[in-house]
Formats: sequence, C-alpha cells, structure tokens
Amino acid sequence: MEKGKRLWTIFIVMAKIGLFTFGGGWSIVAQIQNEFVDRRQWLSEEQLVDYMSLAKSFPGIMIINMSVFCGYTMNGYPGAVVAAFGLSAPAVFTIAIVTYCYSAMRENVFVIKLLNGIRSVVIPIILNAAWKLKKTAVKGKSGGVILLISFFLCALTGINKLLLVIVALIAGLLIWRGVIPDDLS
Amino acid sequence: MIYLKLFLSFMKIGFCSFGGMTMIPVINDEVLRYGWLTSAEVMDIVAVAEMTPGSLGINSATFVGLRTAGVLGALSASFGVMVPSLTLCALAARFILQMKGNKYLESAMRGVRPASLGMLLAAAVTLGIPTFAGTGVIAWNLVLIAVITGVILFKTKLSIPKVILIAAVMGLFLG
Repeated sequence: MEKGKRLWTIFIVMAKIGLFTFGGGWSIVAQIQNEFVDRRQWLSEEQLVDYMSLAKSFPGIMIINMSVFCGYTMNGYPGAVVAAFGLSAPAVFTIAIVTYCYSAMRENVFVIKLLNGIRSVVIPIILNAAWKLKKTAVKGKSGGVILLISFFLCALTGINKLLLVIVALIAGLLIWRGVIPDDLS
Repeated sequence: MIYLKLFLSFMKIGFCSFGGMTMIPVINDEVLRYGWLTSAEVMDIVAVAEMTPGSLGINSATFVGLRTAGVLGALSASFGVMVPSLTLCALAARFILQMKGNKYLESAMRGVRPASLGMLLAAAVTLGIPTFAGTGVIAWNLVLIAVITGVILFKTKLSIPKVILIAAVMGLFLG
C-alpha cells in the first residue's frame, strides 16, 4: 500500500480507538487487536502482547506508549508519531467540550448512568482480549506459572511493573535459553 | 512563554510518572508551583478524565493547557506529556524490530508475554472491584450490564465501539 495512505489509516483508526478508550486504557489492547492484528494484519499477536507490558513499564502514558510501539512497528518513526497524535486527538476535543459544561454534566443523572454503563463494559472487554491472546502469550507449563505469579503480584500488591518485566525477561532467558521448540504452541 | 512552560512541565510529568493515578501527585506539584490550578481543580481533573475517553495523562494535560492558555496551551501540554513515549518507546521498538528472530530475545519474550497477560487480567480485577462493589454492596445492575455485554463480546463479532455504545444505552436504563 502507498505509504501516505497507510499513515493516514493509522491516524484515523487510532483516533477512533482514542474515542472509545475508557477505564484506565486497557481496552486499547482489544481495539488494536481488532483493527491492526485481525483486520489489517499489520501487527502480529506476539508483538501486541510484547508491547503490552513494555508500554506499561516505560515512563509516560501507557496508551500513548502502546500507540508508539505499534505505530513504529507498522510504519517506522512517522507511524509512531501519527499513531500517538491520532490517539490523543479525540481527547483534546472532548476535554474542550466537557471543560465548558463540566459542572452541568457532573450533576446530570443521565451522564452518570451513561458512564456507569461504560465503566461496566470495560471489564468484559479486557477479559475478552485476554482470552483471545492466551495461546500466543502462554507457552507451556512455565508460561502458565509466570501468568499466575504475575496476576497475583499485580492484583494483590503494588509491584513496580518495570521490575516485573525485568524479572520475567530473565525467567524467560533461563527457562528457554535460546532454544525455541515449536511443538509447545 | 506560557506554551513552552506548559510543554516542559508536562514533559517532566511524563518522564516522572507511569500513567494513571500515579500522575496525580506529580501533576499536583507542577500546576500548584506555577499557580495554574488550585488543588480542588486538580481533583476535578480526575472526574473529567473519567467522563471522557483517553488516558488520565493526556486528559489532564489538555485540561490544564486549556484552562491556562487556550487551545494552543492544550496542544503544547499534550505534546509535552507524549515526549517520553515518542523517544524511549520508539527506540525500544526499533531495537526489538532489529533483533527480530534472535533466539535469546524470543526466549526472554516468552517469559514476558505470560507476565503481560497476568497484568491485563489483574487490571480487570483492580478495575472491577470499584466498578461493581465501589459502594460496599454489589451493584447487580452493573454486573448484569457486564454479563450481557460480555456474552455479546465472546459470542459475536460486533466491534468494540458498538459494544461500548450498547453498554452506554443499557446504563441509561439500568445504571
């Protein structure tokens, strides 16, 4: 595909994703999976999973980090810039609107109900994304053990994500030692 | 110059924080130092950020920029808070792509991927508790919305924006 057209698509799709990213941003994973992994195949599932924890453990905003990792992979540095700006564009507009009618919206019972609905759907979106990614992410029994340890550490303690990623990197190196069997998947 | 100040200030906020609520104390320090917002207004950021799509970081940068210096201020602050991503993550992505196919990197990544998934599942729990039991009792109406939209997500190929809209409409009746 023509390069300019691809960049434009990245911008538009990221803007759409930005418009529908609520609740701490994790639903971005599900949306990138739909748009760029399944539909356009510009990213692999492995890359999506790799970038998830890296985006969380790098300084800065997780979803912007995620957009930069994915944008860079799909179209080099211009792809990264376009993805980050596309993702944040809707925020600039919606915040501008909300700031002007903030006090009216805050007390409005319909707004509160609407947001309650949106907050509730974030959880199934995350679970659905995790379910789809499980085969790619978890290889063999050791993978399952790492998954459980990471889940409990993140759910029950405020463990530093960077530390978790570094420990997982070392664990991966020690377990597989550069030997990648194909039959485990 | 106010635009440059906003840009630098939010660049600092970006580098010093790891997103989400961890940004609030850092944002608080910066905006109070320059007198851009009051403490009460900082707490408003959290409420506004919850009402609007996007992350707390971008939303607060936009909010503070808009309040202090209009649309250009909003853009300067948002661009500033994106600088860590545009530098560090781009470099990391480049490194990973160059190493593609390296067996040791692949081994290490096989350790990271399940940890990623564990992180994602934990996010569902830590977000779920305040959503469904924030007031101390279980909000069955919201659980019902989650279950119905969950079934839609797992059983149909409806896109996520559409499912979010369905949830919002259900919220109007059940929320």
